Amino acid sequence: MKQQLDEILAQGRELIAEADSEFALNELKVQFLGKKGKVTALMKGMADLSAEERPAMGKVVNEVKSSLEELFEARFQEVRELDLEKRLSSERIDVTLPGRRLPKGSLHPITLVTDEVVGIFSTLGFGVVEGPEIENDYYNFEALNMPRNHPARDMQDTFYISEDVVLRTHTSPVQIRTMLKQRPPVKVIAPGTVYRRDSDLTHSPMFHQVEGFLVDRQVTFGDLKGTLQTFLNRFFGHEIGVRFRPSFFPFTEPSAEVDIACVICGGKGCRVCKDSGWLEILGCGMIDPEVFKAVGYDPAVVTGYAFGMGLERLCMLKNGINDLRLFFENDIRFLRQF
Amino acid sequence: MNVTWNWLKEFVDCPYSPDELAHRLTMAGLEVEGIKRYGEGMDSVIVARLVSVDVHPDAERLTLCRVQTGAEELQIVCGAKNHKTGDLVALAQVGTVLPGNFKIKKSKIRGCESQGMLCSEKELGLAENSEGILILPPDLPLGRPVFEALGLKDVLFEIGLTPNRADCLSVLGVAREAAALCGNPLRFQEPAGPVGEGDIRSLTSVEVAEPEHCPRYAARLIRGIRIGPSPAWLARRLESVGLRSINNVVDVTNYVMMELGQPLHAFDFNRLRERRIVVRRAEAGQLFTTLDGRQHRLEAEDLMICDGEGAVALAGVMGGENSEIGPDTRDVLLESAFFNPMTVRRTSKRLGIHTEASHRFERGVDIGMTPLALERAAQLICETVGGVAAGGRIDVYAPPAPRQPVPISVRRTNAILGLDLDRERVRELLLSIDMMVAGDPQDAGDRFLVTVPSFRHDLEREIDLIEEVARLNGYEQIPVTLPAAGVDSWLVPESAEAVGRIRKAMTAEGFSEVVNYSFVSPGCWDKILLPAGDPRRRAVPLLNPLTEDQSVMRTILAPSLLEVVARNLSYRSRDLRMFEVRPVFSAENAQKGNAAGEKLHLCFALCGRRAPEGWAQENEPVDFFDLKGVAENLLELFAVEKAVFTSGTEEPFLHPGKSALLKSSDQVIGFLGEIHPHVLDHFDIDAPVLLGEFDLKAFLEAPGRTGKFRPLSRFPNVQRDTAFVVDSAVSAQEVMETIRRVGPRYLEESVLFDIYCGPGIPEGKKSMAVRVRYRSEEKTLTDDEVNGLHQKIVDALCNRLGAQIR
Repeated sequence: MKQQLDEILAQGRELIAEADSEFALNELKVQFLGKKGKVTALMKGMADLSAEERPAMGKVVNEVKSSLEELFEARFQEVRELDLEKRLSSERIDVTLPGRRLPKGSLHPITLVTDEVVGIFSTLGFGVVEGPEIENDYYNFEALNMPRNHPARDMQDTFYISEDVVLRTHTSPVQIRTMLKQRPPVKVIAPGTVYRRDSDLTHSPMFHQVEGFLVDRQVTFGDLKGTLQTFLNRFFGHEIGVRFRPSFFPFTEPSAEVDIACVICGGKGCRVCKDSGWLEILGCGMIDPEVFKAVGYDPAVVTGYAFGMGLERLCMLKNGINDLRLFFENDIRFLRQF
Repeated sequence: MNVTWNWLKEFVDCPYSPDELAHRLTMAGLEVEGIKRYGEGMDSVIVARLVSVDVHPDAERLTLCRVQTGAEELQIVCGAKNHKTGDLVALAQVGTVLPGNFKIKKSKIRGCESQGMLCSEKELGLAENSEGILILPPDLPLGRPVFEALGLKDVLFEIGLTPNRADCLSVLGVAREAAALCGNPLRFQEPAGPVGEGDIRSLTSVEVAEPEHCPRYAARLIRGIRIGPSPAWLARRLESVGLRSINNVVDVTNYVMMELGQPLHAFDFNRLRERRIVVRRAEAGQLFTTLDGRQHRLEAEDLMICDGEGAVALAGVMGGENSEIGPDTRDVLLESAFFNPMTVRRTSKRLGIHTEASHRFERGVDIGMTPLALERAAQLICETVGGVAAGGRIDVYAPPAPRQPVPISVRRTNAILGLDLDRERVRELLLSIDMMVAGDPQDAGDRFLVTVPSFRHDLEREIDLIEEVARLNGYEQIPVTLPAAGVDSWLVPESAEAVGRIRKAMTAEGFSEVVNYSFVSPGCWDKILLPAGDPRRRAVPLLNPLTEDQSVMRTILAPSLLEVVARNLSYRSRDLRMFEVRPVFSAENAQKGNAAGEKLHLCFALCGRRAPEGWAQENEPVDFFDLKGVAENLLELFAVEKAVFTSGTEEPFLHPGKSALLKSSDQVIGFLGEIHPHVLDHFDIDAPVLLGEFDLKAFLEAPGRTGKFRPLSRFPNVQRDTAFVVDSAVSAQEVMETIRRVGPRYLEESVLFDIYCGPGIPEGKKSMAVRVRYRSEEKTLTDDEVNGLHQKIVDALCNRLGAQIR
């Protein structure tokens, strides 16, 4: 009987190793270990043995049985692993096919640049205010030291709604509205849409500006220079050459135009900067005492600075956009680039 | 303002190069926008003497010349006929590039070598046309560049002046600035006019009826002149600053205007009726023809120069045709006056006439210059045109009140600029631009009293003087500082944050933001079929639009967005999702310039495929429910709970069966739907477009769920599906509302997941399927519990909606 068991074990070992699928192994398992299997049949023969022989033989039978079970289990693992490997090696996709995407949206570049400018000034402690686009002559001109029939009004071609109402030509009326509402100190920027009656390659009848101003005791022109230098460095992402040139705005004095070193040629001179190496980027100055008088601030007590810049221009310089009209044509091929 | 280097040098010695001067002027506030160099690159065109002129041995029409340059003798072949031995000529040496990129090379002409070219005026760019070569005046030094020898080498500065700097609308004014920047004195001698014969007062008179509008009017009379072309120097001077030479008298008046900044006018004296001048207002409605031949209707506010009978010039703007000087003029009356800037500006603006004269009068000329410019012009006319002046001048002058000295505090100057200038420096800077500066006896340690000369109208207040100090000292000298960190403002516009979230949400839905002009064509109301009485037709019109297409303010964004869709479709971009967040303008409040008239709207449109084109995507076109899904996501983002979509809208531009109104507590938030085919036609759109527009104020004010956190259940949910058949007319909303009303305990959510009609479903009916999920926060629900709850819903569907369970 011991010999029979050894033969069964040897046969089993051989057949198990040959079986190459879970199905074949299951069949084999039934043949050996099933109710009518070979080992079971032998175990039934134990009854014929003597009481002395039985325990030893029982032990051998159990050993063979568990050996076979272990062999089956190990082979099962192997076969499953082989199956999986076979499956994985047959399942191949072309990963270079494009992914399944949802439509991608985009914010208008003017929105993006407005957010960026607002963000920078927020970190410098500026609040944000807004004002109406249809504006009174008083806020747009008169209170800004531009009385009727003043030649300074020629600097801005105006769309009129009526004799006293205009489409605001700049965001500066927001200065007036804010100062009338609030006592100093005031430190805010005012982004917004503005309109001028001018349309050609470099002028759009509607465009966007950000106005900013600070009123407090002891604000100096030096502070204005520092604030704008900081802003421009951050906006363009590096220390940028800046120069302040005397200029004229009715609502600031002293006034300045601010140029930055040409971002296209780095100041060497190119077509964009007309070989000057400089690009005009914004206007600014110390708030004129007449403006303070119009809003009931005492110019002997407070001083302040104000600045205004065109957002389209900032955006064009930063992104290398060469045509102003693109902003308002709304060609999806343009918009999706932002 | 155009000035040239040579002209400036008559008034000031400048140690700088033209480029350096331009830079310094720019940095002092006189922005040099352009520089032109006359005669640039022409230094190799030199003065040479003809040593011999012979006929070319092989060509009778050509001459073979030998020329002496002072350094060498050269052989030149020349085709002209007007030259002879001994003449000085302009020799373009080998290597010269003449205007028109004409390169001079060594060449052989009919076998004879030519070592350069003798030039004509035309070839040098000095004249439009010329006969023969240029014969130079006999006293020029050999070998000198011709442009230099003729005084034609010059540099033009094109200065963009700010409106406050009227004083720099003259060579003298720019020279004064240059002198201050160079630290050199300004050379200006008061011009003395011709003494003349007799007395002007016996020949004519000037009466100023409006001294307020014309505080000074001076005149001289010159008789026996001959109108003709100007001498070359005068014509070239004017041309060098961009003025056209007209005739000798007009050119003199223009020359003096450019030089001294005072516009002058010359009348044909014999065409002045009664030979006298009256300055008075026009009669309203009167017609007047200016010397450019245009007729104008006058108003009582216009100041006129009149003769004994009527108007002869629009004061300070333009002369009249009836007194214009012409070829036969013999006697001229020269006018030099100061007109009130506002008066001139009103007239020139209203009539749309902008002249060199009106430009200066509007900004304010120097009232002290009135007689000086007159004398200068009279002198120049006598010298260059001939004629004899009548003795003396008329000068009707109502002097303005003397200007009060303006105090300036050194301490305040430094406080505003952030500088630390000492007293002496401030004084120096003010003196450099001809201010009169005295110590202020009241505060001798700090303040000055500054008397401002009459040419600087812009300096009236301390701050004006502080600006002068700042710019003359140089803005670059002001140290860069940051404001004391005392102020930190956190003001944000109402709803700005919410609008930002809406924009971002729209991009997350795949939409691209557009920005359209706020003004549209009034024709767009017809294009979207708005009926005659629609309030949106009452758009705010512009009084002076650029074009009809941009003449009224938008009352609705949809037409602009449809234009954008159409334009993109025409560029073959066919899958579009676009949105705009911008104000619309109502007529009611616009007249007051009131912010309440501006309402922020959101408009969004989509067309084409639902998903981007690709191998794995179904090429399904978008439909109403894509549009509605966007709206629902927005509602969810802002937790607007009680919003309802109701079928159909009154909007004539939407498909009546595929459109909805969005309302919250009976407040209309907006509309959405498919665009009506007629409207698509009007916009030349060939694909279905879905569009919605919301009033963002209404949207953001719609009552929403309070933002409180809802705890999560740790127990599994149980779901039940029920399919049933109802009448086609039963809406999804009725089904969902029925379930919501039953509101059984543990109801977590319900979804309508299938709709079907067709084979197997009777006519007029449809099959719907809902899935309801139940979940408890305290326990795992048993099947029995859930079955009991769900049965209530099934019963309600059957009883209230007549549903038959399938």
